[in-house]
Amino acid sequence: MIQYMIKRIVIGVLSLFVLVGITFFLTRAIPGSPFESSNVSGEVLEMMENEYGLNDPVIVQYGTYLLHVIQGDFGYSYENPSQSVTSIIAEFLPVTIMTGGLALLLAIVTGVSFGIWMVVSKQKIIQRALFSGTILGTGIPNFVLALVLIFVFGVKFHWLPVAGGSEWESYILPVCSLAIYPASVICRMTAHLYKEEMKKEYVVLAKAKGMQWERIVWKHVLRHIWLPLFNYLGSAAAFLLTGSFAIESIFTIPGLGSQFVHAISNRDYTLIMGLTIFMGTVVISIQVLVDLLGAWIDPKIRRSYEGQ
Amino acid sequence: MSLLDIKNLCIWYENEDHRQVVSDLSFQIQKGEFVGLVGASGCGKSSAMLGIMGLLPENSGFSCERFLFRGEHYEKKIETLRGKKIAMVFQDPSAYLNPLLKIGQQLTETIRCHKTCTKKEAKERAMELLSMAGIHSPETRMNQYPFEISGGMRQRVVIAIALACEPDLVIADEPTTALDVTVQRQILDLLKTISQRTKTAILLVSHDLGVIASVCDRVLVMQEGKIVEEGTANQIFYEPQNPYTMQLVEKAKAVMSVAKKKEKGVLVLESKDIGCKFRERLRWNKTCTREALRQISFSMYHGETFGLVGESGCGKTTLARILTGILSPDFGKLWSKGKVQMVFQDPYASFDPGYTIEKILLEAIPKQADHTKEVEKMLQLVGLKPEDRWKYPREFSGGQRQRIAIARALMSCPEILILDEPVSALDISTQSQILKFLDDIQQETGISYLFISHDLNVVKHMSQRIAVMYLGTFMEMGDTASIYEDPWHPYTKQLLSAILVPDPKKAHRRKKLIVKEILKQEEGTEKGCPFAGQCGYAMTRCHTEFPDFYQFEDRQVRCFLYSEEHTGRRRAGAPMISQI
Repeated sequence: MIQYMIKRIVIGVLSLFVLVGITFFLTRAIPGSPFESSNVSGEVLEMMENEYGLNDPVIVQYGTYLLHVIQGDFGYSYENPSQSVTSIIAEFLPVTIMTGGLALLLAIVTGVSFGIWMVVSKQKIIQRALFSGTILGTGIPNFVLALVLIFVFGVKFHWLPVAGGSEWESYILPVCSLAIYPASVICRMTAHLYKEEMKKEYVVLAKAKGMQWERIVWKHVLRHIWLPLFNYLGSAAAFLLTGSFAIESIFTIPGLGSQFVHAISNRDYTLIMGLTIFMGTVVISIQVLVDLLGAWIDPKIRRSYEGQ
Repeated sequence: MSLLDIKNLCIWYENEDHRQVVSDLSFQIQKGEFVGLVGASGCGKSSAMLGIMGLLPENSGFSCERFLFRGEHYEKKIETLRGKKIAMVFQDPSAYLNPLLKIGQQLTETIRCHKTCTKKEAKERAMELLSMAGIHSPETRMNQYPFEISGGMRQRVVIAIALACEPDLVIADEPTTALDVTVQRQILDLLKTISQRTKTAILLVSHDLGVIASVCDRVLVMQEGKIVEEGTANQIFYEPQNPYTMQLVEKAKAVMSVAKKKEKGVLVLESKDIGCKFRERLRWNKTCTREALRQISFSMYHGETFGLVGESGCGKTTLARILTGILSPDFGKLWSKGKVQMVFQDPYASFDPGYTIEKILLEAIPKQADHTKEVEKMLQLVGLKPEDRWKYPREFSGGQRQRIAIARALMSCPEILILDEPVSALDISTQSQILKFLDDIQQETGISYLFISHDLNVVKHMSQRIAVMYLGTFMEMGDTASIYEDPWHPYTKQLLSAILVPDPKKAHRRKKLIVKEILKQEEGTEKGCPFAGQCGYAMTRCHTEFPDFYQFEDRQVRCFLYSEEHTGRRRAGAPMISQI
């Protein structure tokens, strides 16, 4: 198991380097310079670019950057030289993690329970309502949904704040609008998996044991549903935890997504690189985590790593 | 007062025709009785049992005039009996155990769902149940997952689960159909012991009359959803009244007969010292090789049937794959005169469901301009109508599908046909039809069959010569009649003693079969005779040396008991006799 973990992490680090390389050359390919603006004249611009080493060949810049990164130094933001890249990430990360994490949790809980409800419900109307709900949820982009939510709950009824703020109410709408898409996907996956699993023979045996339906679902069926669901959850988690630009801008939440977009439009090279590395790490570690959870649930995978 | 009293049980499925699969089924079961329910597949046995358990699928209807359990009415509340008073053992233990849960948990949850007790008490009870079901070292087993134990052991676990709450009635629906003969005997013995010791009534459902005859006191015969005859085992097997019962018993006994001897024809296939190794991964950096086949030598002649018997996992199918060329042998030589074709156990799985029968049959031969005649001729040969060529595989019954599979194999005019468990999935009447039909084809075309089966009766009925296989090697080979009458190898003897005969009197006279649990082959033992670990006659030599395949006239046996060192030098031509 440990050997497998090490193998996975080594592969992860290697792919991270590839990612860093590609992003580095792509950012340098963006036309324009980080210091370009209406009030900076040609000479000053030239001087500043020299100062930051931007006139060196790109490959040399790449080499120096990699050297710094390996030493743990991500540099300072070009836009805001008083702040280091790490401190920017540290500042905006908690908000993103909280909204993303809450959205993920909400998506799992509602997705799985509605998914099972959709199959179990005897009433055709509930089944149809839930099914059309999932179609809407996957079909409508989340920024449209966010605007609709703001209009209904914020503007019409004044139940919830429409934007910003640090109190917990202001997180409800963004979390909901983030969660709807993954929740719909999870709901449909769960419904399908549940239907398939309930046909399996081990469920018949569990019923023959005299177990109650709730216990059968909780103790037996859910485990089988988790296994394929985790693969989707991995990508959903990566998507949610790295922040969404649209939602963050609509609700004026200070998160990583909006930082990323600002950094790109300002050609803030160091911040782009820092955020890329950070998000790459998040995605790769989530993938490793998903694999570990799969092994934890499926004894066959677990035993094959345990050796004998 | 009877334990279970059912009157006019009806079950139907809500598809187009609303046909009743079980109609007006009435029967009673007394306390502590061992009752058998026998009938062809599709006669509604399983549906009736699921109905009694209240486990019918959603698209089915259920009605019952009287459902008395210990004198109380339960028509509307069958669910309350489930697991507690009536328990069930199912056919395929591998599918019915949850693969993701430990065996211990699957057992204790049953106990804890009917009794209020602590986890520790439930665990103790679970271990007690496992040892009652004949499982050694229950503590280790409790921490294992279903995929880590053998099929027979899984069925024991399912039985232990059924017994968890001391039910008054256990319904066993084909509990041994998916298991090997030796394991089948053990499971049936276990059920018998349990019924005697705990006074639990057992209702054993099976299509196999041999199973019914070996354990049941009373037998119910079911045909098309109705009970057609009922009586003690002796009555049913020796004086059947109903024509359907007579037919069933006759067919079952017919299979017991030995195939007629034939003149030896031309040699069509010869294999010499074939061996096959598989590489298995132990750890990420360590592999080991396992010998799947070892020194297999035999020959087949024109127009004969060569039987191959052995437990599952002994390498029968690997050998079949080598003979057809799907796998290539690692050692040895193989020679065959003509084409070799194969018929699989599950014909439906071997067809492309989107192909018509014509297309399936034509796949085997090179494209020709006019092939209609050939297809029609072949379909007539296998007893189907020429119009059937436009149909799809799903439109046929199990027996018909097997005919199509045979037709496909025959299309390319092979010299040898390998039949890998061709009738195992079929019920007794279809089985005898297919066997008869295979015989007819052999008469007509003079083809040779290699007949692989774990069903010893069927092999005996079909083949002139047989080979007994154990862990990748032939243990004994020779004339079917002489081997069945007088087995020479200790393994053959053990295997043959596990045969179930549709004859209750004979079955009762038999001794209990004791087989040591087969553990994974330990390292270092692969040098000796593979059976040495379980053999009652094993000598020191058996553990260290691999015995030769000693030949005596037309019989061959791989056992040191028949070596010259053991029997002494014999005069040339002196007949060898059984040493055990």
